[in-house]
Amino acid sequence: MTSASSHYQLTWVALADPTRRSILERLSHGEARVTELARPYAMSLNAVSKHIRVLERAGLIRRRRDGRDHFLSFNPDPLTSAAAWIAAQRSLWMSRLDALDALLQAEDAATPKTSRRKDKSR
Amino acid sequence: MNPQSQKAIVQVTRRFSASAERVFDAWLDPNTVGKWLFATPTGKMSKIKIDARVGGSYLIVECREGIDVEHIGEYLEIDRPRRLVFTLKVPKYSEENTKVTIEIRALESGCELTLTHEGVLSDYIASTTSGWKMILGQLAATL
Repeated sequence: MTSASSHYQLTWVALADPTRRSILERLSHGEARVTELARPYAMSLNAVSKHIRVLERAGLIRRRRDGRDHFLSFNPDPLTSAAAWIAAQRSLWMSRLDALDALLQAEDAATPKTSRRKDKSR
Repeated sequence: MNPQSQKAIVQVTRRFSASAERVFDAWLDPNTVGKWLFATPTGKMSKIKIDARVGGSYLIVECREGIDVEHIGEYLEIDRPRRLVFTLKVPKYSEENTKVTIEIRALESGCELTLTHEGVLSDYIASTTSGWKMILGQLAATL
């Protein structure tokens, strides 16, 4: 049995990854084959398939078979609660703050105050 | 107003190894903001205007797949490096004016930032696919 909270957890986990979010974004424009979905990513078809499975488990993707072709489509139902909306917004802000942290750390790396780096490599 | 409309509050907390001042300034420095705040890897910042004073406004425009996405708002409180409050509206997606509050607490090393985003959870966002396309578009853009 799936409780509401564990279902919410699945949605959350599914949305936490940027590749999965971008897969959903593509599917929100219409149905696509697995191979078409995988094309823009710099990763193996297998890796993309794993992401797709996570999204399917969360109920965010529907799969339709037509002969040998598998067509995927976006199912927004798990996202229609306010809690999910908030989860998505949180995730969006976390991504932005991650970007800020990465930027500040890159600045630090570009202006080393000590020669610790050099010492370390010896 | 539609009874389905409700106020949503989104809150996130994150620690930074950088000082409270540096983290605070990153929100208001036009040279920094464009690199992270509403920036996406495939988008191109086309305009950044920041009038960093209470009552001053900002405009951050990023071109995403040929479409200019404007982020506009006004600074309501500026208390460096502790607190920053501003309104935020993204007209491409919604005419709702939302409010963002940033609180930064200095730690022994680095700082902790708490962000609170208050907005109206429009019923179209909560219950329709088009609203979700919008959210997913934004999420996917933050790769």
